Amino acid sequence: MSIIRALKVSVLAGTLFAAGAFAPGSGSTAVAAQDVSVCLWGTITGPDAILNGMSYGARDYFEYLNQFKGGIAGQKVRTLLLDGRYKLDEELKIYRRCVDQEQAVFVSGWSTGAVKALRDQIAQDQIPFMAQSHSSEVLDPVKLPYIFIPGPTYEQQMVIALRALKQQGGKTVAVMHPDNEYGRGPVNVVRQSGLIEKTGLKLADTIEFPFDTQDLTAQMLRLKSRNPDMVYVQASTPQLLVILRDAAKVGLPAKLFVGNMYNISAAIPEQLGKGAEGFRTIQIYADFGADIPAMKEIDAFRTKNEIAKQDVYYMKGWFQGIVMAKAIENAIAKNGGKIPDDIRSFRKAVRTEMTSLRSLDVGGIVPEANYDTHQGTTLARIAEIRDGRYVPVSDWIDAR
Amino acid sequence: MKRAHFIVGVAVAAAVLAVTPFLDRYVAYLVTIVAISSIGALGLNLLTGLCGQISFAQAALMGIGAYTAGNLCNAGLGLFAIPLGGLAAATASVVIGLPALRLRGLYFAIATLAAQFILEYLFKILEPLTHGISGLLIRPPTVLGFAIQDDRAYARLAVALLFLVWSGIGVLRATNLGRSFLVVRENEIVARGMGIDVARTKFWAFLLSGFIAGIAGAMSGIASRLANPEAFSFALSVDYVAMIIVGGQGTLTGPLLGAAFVTLLPEAIQRIGELFNTPSILSALREFAFGMLIILFLIFEPLGLMAVVRKLRLRLTASKPGGKSPAATTEAV
Repeated sequence: MSIIRALKVSVLAGTLFAAGAFAPGSGSTAVAAQDVSVCLWGTITGPDAILNGMSYGARDYFEYLNQFKGGIAGQKVRTLLLDGRYKLDEELKIYRRCVDQEQAVFVSGWSTGAVKALRDQIAQDQIPFMAQSHSSEVLDPVKLPYIFIPGPTYEQQMVIALRALKQQGGKTVAVMHPDNEYGRGPVNVVRQSGLIEKTGLKLADTIEFPFDTQDLTAQMLRLKSRNPDMVYVQASTPQLLVILRDAAKVGLPAKLFVGNMYNISAAIPEQLGKGAEGFRTIQIYADFGADIPAMKEIDAFRTKNEIAKQDVYYMKGWFQGIVMAKAIENAIAKNGGKIPDDIRSFRKAVRTEMTSLRSLDVGGIVPEANYDTHQGTTLARIAEIRDGRYVPVSDWIDAR
Repeated sequence: MKRAHFIVGVAVAAAVLAVTPFLDRYVAYLVTIVAISSIGALGLNLLTGLCGQISFAQAALMGIGAYTAGNLCNAGLGLFAIPLGGLAAATASVVIGLPALRLRGLYFAIATLAAQFILEYLFKILEPLTHGISGLLIRPPTVLGFAIQDDRAYARLAVALLFLVWSGIGVLRATNLGRSFLVVRENEIVARGMGIDVARTKFWAFLLSGFIAGIAGAMSGIASRLANPEAFSFALSVDYVAMIIVGGQGTLTGPLLGAAFVTLLPEAIQRIGELFNTPSILSALREFAFGMLIILFLIFEPLGLMAVVRKLRLRLTASKPGGKSPAATTEAV
């Protein structure tokens, strides 16, 4: 190959590489200046896809507004749901697409790790961001003014369980968690802050186990020897199935265990049968099918559309859709019913309206939403598996 | 490296650098991750494709680069953190490579697998250095007081590093050491018979491969502003093995094609799904499609994308009057 020819080929290749295949907006729909665009990513496929109702719920709420209410302020909402696959680089990539290419006015993202990696970027971009994570590390209205979370932090959920135990006269608690960030992080915060002792309880033991564990019999024997009044589990459903199965092996009842909000799963009573009876968990959002006003909207939506996941996580997503839409609606109303021309000022206005949401009626999914503290609600109640169904067994308990 | 190849490399890098300021952040980020993956794949290719030592510890070595660079960036060392991240990974790579002096083939691959899991575990428990499970937040590096925190700047930096690594390996292949790698890969006994110091050759392969992996990891940590154990798991090591298989082991440009293919394929499938309004369905099929494509490559084109490129080039050359014969234009691997 001559040098001249090599140069020709290389210039062509370079141009194609950089300007063609990666051209801005390639493959994406053109963005009109007057669009209301909301961009969401979840784990459609990936290790915690069992919870992806959260993403479908938010997307479907905006679709419900389009189909039944004519959108927001007469403007159809363009909603894009992408698959982050619980992979950091994928999520970081999607965030940039949402902000730059889709010109989204509100972004909702998935993993704690991604939100942490993006938190400076989000502040810099000044874009309202609804996290799916309940990690306290992404909740800071002063330093992270654009990040909002949908409910009590993992630590607060643990506090709610501890208070419920104290109310019932319990004295000792043991904690179990997997060896990942989701498991270890909140437990460390609670232990180091002395919240267990402040509640008037004693920590009997802390047991860490591998995230992909298949057998916990030895840990259950250790737990049995500690004889706690309650075992709080900061884990996901797959691990909880192993915990309850192996607890039964050594004679520990399911009633001893309390899980966090991600342990409301039909898989638990279905797979464990009577072995799951009495298991308790933190319930923040009303269950799918509950007798609440929001369910009427969902039923109406269901008449024309298929709902991919009919569970409590879908309700969480629907709740997030309601609050995001309300903030967008208020921002447009304050601008004389028109969408601000400049996306930056639109985003800032939506952020301001988000923090102004007080006592918002969300159709009974949670008692009411307040976003002055950036977390929607700090209330939760305890639900228990009875006859194969999760039944609320406590009043609303405030973690604050 | 042939002069023409070098010029092509310079021109492609220059073209990419020239258009980078005009890219939006999303596209700039794509360029960054493709460049980082290409650097990592070149590093693994040096060890596996050129020297014949199969390694499953590439992600862990990148992790060492990311954590080292992250801590040094946070300490204010700026871009010096990147080569220092490379040095830390090179040191670890030599330590991991020590068993290679006694183990071969599958046995050595298992030893690297063990190293991957040990390092992953260390990332989780060495909290003062790694911040454990929650990960190390990395502040943007500064140059002359200015923080580099723009995606376009990261893209330029990553492409420049990729060019340096690519041309460096190109030069290395033409040296005695580079040729020794190839002989060791083909047959260690023959290599000894030819007077090649096999242990020394492997030592250099581990050192250089580790250094390059560390550079990739450092750049990855800086661009994502976070180094956490989950980002450097075994699955990433497998991705890198896939990159060099798909691209073409032992070639200079193959790992770049493999890295671009593996990194951009999920994005392409996503976009196709959106085009036909079926993103959720195609999203679920994405991993399946990815696995199927790798199997198809192994069956129908085990020499990778570079072999496909060569065949296309041969056809184009042969179809022209006075074109060179296939034998005359085929490059040695």
